[in-house]
Amino acid sequence: MTKWIRENLWRHAVAITVVLFSLFPLYLVVISSINPTGSLQITSFIPREISSKNFRMLFNDPTIPYLTWMRNTLIIAGLVAVISVIIGASAAFAFSRLRFKGKRFGLQTLLLVQMFPAILAISALYVIMERVYNFAPYMGLGTQTGLILVYLGGAMGVNIWLLKGFVDSIPMELDEAAKVDGASPMQTYWLIFVPLAAPVLAVVALLSFIGTFNEFILARLFLVDMESRTIAVGLQGFIGGQYSQNWGPFAAGSIIASIPIVIIFLSLQRYIISGLTAGSVKG
Amino acid sequence: MNRLKIATLTKYILVAFAIAILSFLAQSAFAQGEVEIALFLAVSIIAIGITYLTKISIPLKFFLPGLLFLAAFALGPVLYTLGMSGFQFQTGNYISKDAAIERIKLLGVQPDENGTTFDVLVGRSDSGDFALLASDPFVTKQYFISTQERLTRLDPLDLTLDSDGLASEAPGFKAFSNRELREVDQTLTTIRFKYEEPFFLQLEGSDLAAVKRQKLEYLSDQDQFRNLLTGELYSDNGRGNYVSEANLDDILQPGWRSPIWFSHYIDLFSDPKVREPLVKVFIWTIIFAFLTVLTQFALGLLVALAMNRPIWGRRIYRSIFILPYAMPSIMSILIWGGMFDTEFGAINNLFNSDVAWFQNPNFARAAVIIVNLWLGFPYFYLVTSGALQAIPSELSEAAAIDGASGKQTFWKITLPLLLQVLSPLLVASFAFNFNNFNLIYLLTGGGPRNDLDGEIAGATDILISYTYRIAFGTNIQNLGLASAISVIIFIIVASISLYGIRKSKVLESFK
Repeated sequence: MTKWIRENLWRHAVAITVVLFSLFPLYLVVISSINPTGSLQITSFIPREISSKNFRMLFNDPTIPYLTWMRNTLIIAGLVAVISVIIGASAAFAFSRLRFKGKRFGLQTLLLVQMFPAILAISALYVIMERVYNFAPYMGLGTQTGLILVYLGGAMGVNIWLLKGFVDSIPMELDEAAKVDGASPMQTYWLIFVPLAAPVLAVVALLSFIGTFNEFILARLFLVDMESRTIAVGLQGFIGGQYSQNWGPFAAGSIIASIPIVIIFLSLQRYIISGLTAGSVKG
Repeated sequence: MNRLKIATLTKYILVAFAIAILSFLAQSAFAQGEVEIALFLAVSIIAIGITYLTKISIPLKFFLPGLLFLAAFALGPVLYTLGMSGFQFQTGNYISKDAAIERIKLLGVQPDENGTTFDVLVGRSDSGDFALLASDPFVTKQYFISTQERLTRLDPLDLTLDSDGLASEAPGFKAFSNRELREVDQTLTTIRFKYEEPFFLQLEGSDLAAVKRQKLEYLSDQDQFRNLLTGELYSDNGRGNYVSEANLDDILQPGWRSPIWFSHYIDLFSDPKVREPLVKVFIWTIIFAFLTVLTQFALGLLVALAMNRPIWGRRIYRSIFILPYAMPSIMSILIWGGMFDTEFGAINNLFNSDVAWFQNPNFARAAVIIVNLWLGFPYFYLVTSGALQAIPSELSEAAAIDGASGKQTFWKITLPLLLQVLSPLLVASFAFNFNNFNLIYLLTGGGPRNDLDGEIAGATDILISYTYRIAFGTNIQNLGLASAISVIIFIIVASISLYGIRKSKVLESFK
């Protein structure tokens, strides 16, 4: 018994302390969301009254276009995810299977470019997209199309680790067999690689989705209209430093927005953790 | 065979579609004078055509779409940043020099001594030119029609006057309807209508015109402006403005984006107004990134050590520890922001304190570190757990046989090994937090800062949030200076990252 205490008690003590630390903000946002007063001030850490008022407000109050934000987020993050996967997968295939000059240099450049956050070049992106707006107002500064294009700038570098690692794991013999049968590289790609990689491509798409969901500053700079915002920009603008107001609906909105992301994340844990050790850090 | 035909057909359709869209864009870009963008689009069109319609390079077929996006929205902006950092480029110095000269000429007017104005109707003359029908029924009792070329005086007897004595109709003049007026509104205010030389009439609103005269004259030979009244000369100061030769504070607005080469970089080191806040911010950036990595790693390691044995409830603990990491970080940061609220926040409530978290510099810094600890410790817990399992148990067993205590084993064997394995990740995390914009921007906004002193740098501002503030956060958007600081950050982050890459030997997996 004393041995058990000596060996395990501190482990549980650490674990319980850290569990409290981890859960406190999450617990708080849950009880705030069902608190009918909608106030930031919590009079009791055990809810006395449960109400869906904040959630109803989110969907019915015309000043909070929450559903529109949600749709925008789905469209933007969804499109970026799909197109990035197409671009990333074909690049990974070429890097893994084709022989060409400058392969190593290309990979190194990609690696370096990928490490620079887009925000470093944000002044330039702003000016460039302002110029694009001059001749194409439908895809310049202030539009969702423009934002999507800017996100795609990083499409080739992001997740190239995961993808290339996967392509490398597909046995060479398959390619060679296809080649003997007279398949061109394009056919090998479409008929052998893509079907085999489909599950991994789905994972990469979901990771890209989470990444775009979490992107804030470019979205903030691009999406000025209330109606064109994503959830992240919308909720931030909604609470806008004034935590005492709008706290209840904000809590409700952040819970709804977070649940799908948390579920995706937990179900993809295995891949994310293997990606972690390859040196990428989640934003 | 049929399948192949469909594939080929699809390819041609896609290529044609892409080329059509890009050509359309290139043509409108060219028409609007955005030559660089038009050129880039033209090169893209050619590249697409050559790559997909010939057999020049198979790898390129796989790379081109990604490469074009990379060039347009990642590499391009990086080079553009480099270029912008060599320009005086800020609010008031935003347009080209030619445009600035035009603006100065347009704005360089002044009203006559009495501030004479006329009530006017706006319309067209016989010849179809823009015209004003001006009335002054009280002081000078004159009526006239003025176009850009001619001043035609009118006899009041020929006119239809309204109850105020203002002309409402005149021969040779047709007034605009309200709708027509709205359509031409933008052009009208820039037109100079004829009046007694050297004066002219300029519209102020839709029914009032003021008598003005040109004050500033551009001398294109010397590239100077001259004040026609005082004779004072204004010259190009080399930093994008015309400045009076007699009084250096007398600057003509607007300025233009003028190439100043390395001035911004020199200012970063030599101008105390620029350097001092920057050094302050830089030091905090390093401290912030270092403390973040240290605290996240320490807590992650502690938890990993505690969980490194199949204790009861380990699976439940584990899934709870991952939750902060699985939450979208933006939401978490905003939630924490509410919790640190001084008056109503849960933290002060819980500890029954009244700490002004975001108003006091040191408390704000502590809050930033605490929130980042919450956000990031699960990452280090996960990677450290993995690394701990990879350390062969023989090592600690051997140490135990040699009589080492648990503590000794940890400090002398486990930790050094962990650090060796995890150092690339520690470096990567340092580099990431060096630019952790979202945390700072969403939690404290970089504050607290002393706005009254016109201070731009706040106590928790890190380089990247400070740069953003210089570029977009205040009344003066100094894009040139912000770009110069961005370039410096580029260099710092690239050095850290390259060091990290070398250490992790990740490149070797890319033979």
